[in-house]
Amino acid sequence: MTDTSLTATAAPRLSRRIDWPGIGFAAFLSLVILVPLLVVAIWAFTEVWRYPSILPQKFGLRFWGATLGRNDVWSALSTSVLLATTVTALSTAICLPAAFAFARLNFPGRNIFFLSFLTVHAFPKFGLYVTIATIFLGLGLVGTFWGVVLIQLVSTLMFMVWIPVAAFQGVDRRLEEAARDVGASPARVFFYITLPQALPAIIAAVLLTFVGTFYETEGAWLIGAPTVRTMPLVMITFINSEVVVQYGAVLSVVLWVPSFILMLFARRFLGPQALGRGLGA
Amino acid sequence: MGLLLVAVPVLLVLWLIVWPIVVAVFTTFQVDTPKGPAWSLESYSFFFTDGFSLGNLWVTIWTTAVTTVIVIAVALPIALYLRFSNGKLAAYIQSIALFPLFVPSILLAFALIRTIGPNGMLDTLLNAAHLPKIRSPYLTPWGPVIGLTWDNLPLTLLIVLSGLANVSTASVEAARDVGAGSLSILWHIILPRIANSLLVAASFIVLGLFSAFTLPYLLGPAAPEMMGPFMQRTFIDVNNPTEATTQAMITFLFCAVFAVFYVRSVASSQRRRG
Amino acid sequence: MAKLELRQLSKQFSTTLAVDDVSLTVDDGELVCLLGPSGSGKSTVLRMIGGFELPTAGAVLIDGQDVTRVPPEKRPTGMVFQSHALWSHMTVFGNIAFGLRLRRLPADEIRQRVEAVLELVGLGGYGKRQPNQLSGGQQQRVALARSLVLEPKILLLDEPFASLDQHLRERLREEVRDIQQRVGITTLFVTHGQDEALALADRIVVMRDGKVEQVDRPEVVYREPRTPFVAGFIGQMNLVDGDIRNGRIEAAGMSVATPLADGRAILAVRPEFLELGSATAADAPVAHRVIDYGTHLMVDITVKDNAERLKAMAPANSGWKAGDRLTLRPREVAVYREGVVAHRAVVTPESSPAPVESAHV
Repeated sequence: MTDTSLTATAAPRLSRRIDWPGIGFAAFLSLVILVPLLVVAIWAFTEVWRYPSILPQKFGLRFWGATLGRNDVWSALSTSVLLATTVTALSTAICLPAAFAFARLNFPGRNIFFLSFLTVHAFPKFGLYVTIATIFLGLGLVGTFWGVVLIQLVSTLMFMVWIPVAAFQGVDRRLEEAARDVGASPARVFFYITLPQALPAIIAAVLLTFVGTFYETEGAWLIGAPTVRTMPLVMITFINSEVVVQYGAVLSVVLWVPSFILMLFARRFLGPQALGRGLGA
Repeated sequence: MGLLLVAVPVLLVLWLIVWPIVVAVFTTFQVDTPKGPAWSLESYSFFFTDGFSLGNLWVTIWTTAVTTVIVIAVALPIALYLRFSNGKLAAYIQSIALFPLFVPSILLAFALIRTIGPNGMLDTLLNAAHLPKIRSPYLTPWGPVIGLTWDNLPLTLLIVLSGLANVSTASVEAARDVGAGSLSILWHIILPRIANSLLVAASFIVLGLFSAFTLPYLLGPAAPEMMGPFMQRTFIDVNNPTEATTQAMITFLFCAVFAVFYVRSVASSQRRRG
Repeated sequence: MAKLELRQLSKQFSTTLAVDDVSLTVDDGELVCLLGPSGSGKSTVLRMIGGFELPTAGAVLIDGQDVTRVPPEKRPTGMVFQSHALWSHMTVFGNIAFGLRLRRLPADEIRQRVEAVLELVGLGGYGKRQPNQLSGGQQQRVALARSLVLEPKILLLDEPFASLDQHLRERLREEVRDIQQRVGITTLFVTHGQDEALALADRIVVMRDGKVEQVDRPEVVYREPRTPFVAGFIGQMNLVDGDIRNGRIEAAGMSVATPLADGRAILAVRPEFLELGSATAADAPVAHRVIDYGTHLMVDITVKDNAERLKAMAPANSGWKAGDRLTLRPREVAVYREGVVAHRAVVTPESSPAPVESAHV
């Protein structure tokens, strides 16, 4: 039922307003967050860069060979990988069954024990490390590989319990009931239905743990130094005493690889809401 | 059966968290006398009368306060924008703002030194634009502030976004319908509803900053230093574990309020979710 | 009190054209229902009137003034949302008073007006309660009060009763209609329930796929649907494909005189206008199922060669049973061609098939 008197002329098109706040935020964030990382990236591929020129005088890959040829880099790398793998494996083995128990079973003290994992994050972390270090001194664990394993294990506990718990709780019970209905035993249901459904979040948690442990600095230094040297500690030496910037830059790029992989996976498995919720917002 | 499964991690928590704190209480509140250990506040009174220690405590409090304010002041507008917009620009902003989650602290420290440090990119660009040089924040108390802000932005943004998700679009539209402008809506409708999230975010930052180590150590001055590097130096270089533990206990005390709030808030949201 | 005019309103989202060239005039004090299935664009039209969506073309005029680009906080419209959208951190009084406080009215006047509007919606004395202490129906009444207290020129209701149960919905819509007529406020009401539209509206706007199919008073929309879609959407309707040959339309075994050119057409007849008689032929339409509703019988009829069953309403004592063979005698029909009504006829109960009265449209 259109008004015939207006059909001769088309109605005016209305323009869209320009999104100034959005542009502002994008520009500000791009500047503040991307520029420092770009600078390091440029340094990694530089041979000569003297102040005050904006870009390097000479690009090149010379320092890649130099950095990767250093002994301290390789031994630290193997230490870090070994450490991260050990901690992640232990954490998974310990925490996943516990997560399942917290999510599905009812037992005395369930709530209290569940909340007890919060205490790890309720105290300032380094202060906690110092108190642990004091105990370790008495136990002779300072400066040992297993001492570092233990202290890094502690900080993984909360995430490795809480995220899988949320994952297990999030599995639709009706899927399991349907499986029981067609004759599957409880064990079968767990391995064929529950676990696969919860798997994405669990994988994300495992990845987070591995990467987090790989980069862990405080505990490793406090307990491990000077015998156990991880990659972050080598990085610190570079920052403090290495005059040639490129070593640190190349190492930064190399070190960033696990984090980059995590970023790709995390986007797929964990939405931002889940992360925020996992932290207790 | 359940108890068995949770036994190992729970015992770990008990052994590595609860037990050390108990021991810490004993070692710091006691002193060795010829008659055996006795209760005493000597360790604490030393800390609180030592100008050097107090200066470090003060710079920690100052850094924490300044960083918390800056992070929330930056995160809140971005979160509000993201909540009420969609489209490619918003998606880009969200990706960039969350990017620091995937940059570990040491690499960040290195990047910042090369950018805002002496002869860094900032100096280079200012020089190229013929602008006067500004004093680099590197190795001043502002260095850690910048680094810690960068580092804490994504988590704070996530927490605030999570809180904002509970504010329904319809309730904001209803406010606009009765005549409220953007500021009124923010003050009367949104802030009361996200007050809890903001406090959780603040607690997170405070708890993190009071024990931050890597960024203050690499970006801040040797003196005064934040509690993190201070504790590490006391434990390793000065080789005085008791004093270091005292310092740790003091950080616990100062964060106590926030810690309690954080635990209660998480516990109640867990209960609500069943 | 105000006149609302929509001129060639359109809204294009990135992938869909939600509203396509909609024009409408709503008079002072009128209650117009926007009726249609989900996705018909009715809510988008309402939101454009309220200022929550910017049209991609066209204009919205209130009392002759172009308000198309005016933001919602400055428009003289009041919207009641589907999800009541009450502010949970304020009391009922606080929710209603919020708009008044923004306008910096003196506290006494605010209290007076809030209490008056609470009485109007039947919630006198509920000021101190919190929204989560109220039932769904009470919450919607508070939402209504919140809009009315500001005395808007146009009241907009976006499926406000969708989340309530049937009885509550019927009671509340009567109350809303009473209030609307008492206050005399021009109102637009979006719904997908045709019984709601038929019960409330002064006029109904039937929408589909962003376009307006028909705008008329409820009885006209019911009795004289302009298109097959409207015919099928409002009330129950038998829509049968048929052929017109030699001035008669043949469909599902029925034959009605139709002065139109030969070709395909759709025959539409409501169940209450489809009379039944006994038949003997073995291939005559057969009653598939008879449902006794107490006040009448509803007979499902299978006609050979027809995929869909016809429905006929029969008197309560007519005694039809499943398996009975039937003759079909349509009394009031409409014929649709190319999506528009082409012919209406009333067939008197003389010996069919020849009709005595017929009317062109």
